[in-house]
Amino acid sequence: MKLARFKAATIAVLLALVGCGPAPIDPSRQVGPNPYLPPIHQYLLPPMHVAKVVGWNGATPSVPAGLKVQAFAIGLANPRSLYVLPNGDVLVVETGVPPGPVSRPKELVMNWVEKRAHSRTKPGQRILLFRDTDGDGVPDQETVFIDHLNSPFGVVLVGNDLYVANTDAVIRYPYTAGQTRITDPGVKLCDLPGGPIDHHWTKSLTASPDGSELYAGVGSNSNITENGIQAEAGRASIWQIDRATGAHREYATGLRNPNGLQFEPQTHTLWAVINERDELGPDLVPDYLTSVRDGAFYDWPYSYYGQHIDPRVQPQRPDLVAKAIAPDYALSSHVAPLGLVFYSGINLPAHYRGGAFVGEHGSWDRAVLNGYKVVYIPFVDGRPSGPPEDVVTGFLVDGDKARGRPVGLAVDGKGGLLIADDTGNSVWRVSSASP
Amino acid sequence: MLSANPRSTVSLGGRPLHAMLVPIPIVCFVATLITDIVYWQTAAMLWADMSAWLLLVGLIVSLFAAPAGIIDLFGDPRIRKLRAAWIHGIGNVTALILSIFNCLIHTRDAYTSVVPSGLILSALVVVILLVTGWNGWALVYRHGVGVRQTEQQ
Repeated sequence: MKLARFKAATIAVLLALVGCGPAPIDPSRQVGPNPYLPPIHQYLLPPMHVAKVVGWNGATPSVPAGLKVQAFAIGLANPRSLYVLPNGDVLVVETGVPPGPVSRPKELVMNWVEKRAHSRTKPGQRILLFRDTDGDGVPDQETVFIDHLNSPFGVVLVGNDLYVANTDAVIRYPYTAGQTRITDPGVKLCDLPGGPIDHHWTKSLTASPDGSELYAGVGSNSNITENGIQAEAGRASIWQIDRATGAHREYATGLRNPNGLQFEPQTHTLWAVINERDELGPDLVPDYLTSVRDGAFYDWPYSYYGQHIDPRVQPQRPDLVAKAIAPDYALSSHVAPLGLVFYSGINLPAHYRGGAFVGEHGSWDRAVLNGYKVVYIPFVDGRPSGPPEDVVTGFLVDGDKARGRPVGLAVDGKGGLLIADDTGNSVWRVSSASP
Repeated sequence: MLSANPRSTVSLGGRPLHAMLVPIPIVCFVATLITDIVYWQTAAMLWADMSAWLLLVGLIVSLFAAPAGIIDLFGDPRIRKLRAAWIHGIGNVTALILSIFNCLIHTRDAYTSVVPSGLILSALVVVILLVTGWNGWALVYRHGVGVRQTEQQ
């Protein structure tokens, strides 16, 4: 008895030493404009906790009453982002992480963990086109639209120019309505920061409402400058790229990993979802949704959520910390938002109109998993007006097994919400349950 | 025939394995202190990365050096009777445990992977190694542990 108690105490002390850290808080305390920020906890051993991938095996995600969900496409190779062309054709970007150097032993372990958290299918490096010719919402034609890309992610069409953001460049292709395959090699508009180190490699892309400028999200080259500050040139930034000349300037900086660049349709303001830093505890730092102000410096790497200093960054820059602005709307910690779409369609019930859907890829370093779902955030007058609500769930089963993980979002020509699921190798379509 | 000197149990062709391997972790852990100090002074990540590799290599070789040493300690009662052997053994095991924690601290990202906890542990390990090294040399050069009798004796 005494021995058992001694053993239990020893295990407790060891666990504390090895740094499983504080118990995670309820994520609902960290959503909205003023998230609760606990004290920093630096681990001895980061609590790597990724969901074991089990696949869908015929199951589908869950949606609330009034909505239905269908498989739009299955059997894909790591679909991560989506784009809907004006004629209703849906582009699905199959993509994966580019190879990179290993600079310290930790990365060997991290690469192995990341591999386990994703599908075993070798990612495609291409864009597929899906067409629904009979109007039932699900496609009946599929073609390879553009092949042999370099870890592509963002896609945007302006007039007859189709832009694809590879991890290292924005490429322009000529496109005519109805086209199902592009064989033209394309023309490089602008280089983007790529390898050899390419830590956050997904380059999100959108165009200004008047079509004159492109905006590209360029994520940081590290968690928190551990690859050296010199590796961060032009990164943790949203680039504004002149469509005519390819010249760029940094529109906003200090955004660790911005994705889902979208203009809010009512106010024509640029918004993005940002993946915040890891390894400061299960509840730091909350990922967020924010409007992006021209010329603003947010916080990365020197501080978080405004002026909260990150002790891991040396030398510090008090001048930049003083300028740092807090973002608009927290999504809670480590949910990994990678997709954002404003819903201006009319298929979904009125409740879902005017606000934003966010695809949360899900946590890897939190004892209790967070994210792994698509949430809806209501907007009034171009600003978030309430807490996020779960819309598409069921990506997790039995608490810690993943059937899939949501990434990019889009609204199709009929107003259905499309969700790229890279781990489940599927695209899901959510629409109104009543026809 | 029992030789007059305490014998090493784990040896290759009469050469004690522990003595062959133990320089590698010692060099790695001493070099870790140096690269930690340089990182502390420069904040250039190259040095912190170097520390992480040095710690890992030191620990991996220790996985072989430590058991060889422990088996030698228990393999000959004459070694167990030496005070220097216990200081050497317990000290080195302590240094090894501290280095495991140090290795974990060095998996953190950027500055706090070294300053201050990593740097303190690296320095502590080197201080311990000075004491255990002193006693280890005594084992071989004063007590002749693992040294074969020469003809003259």
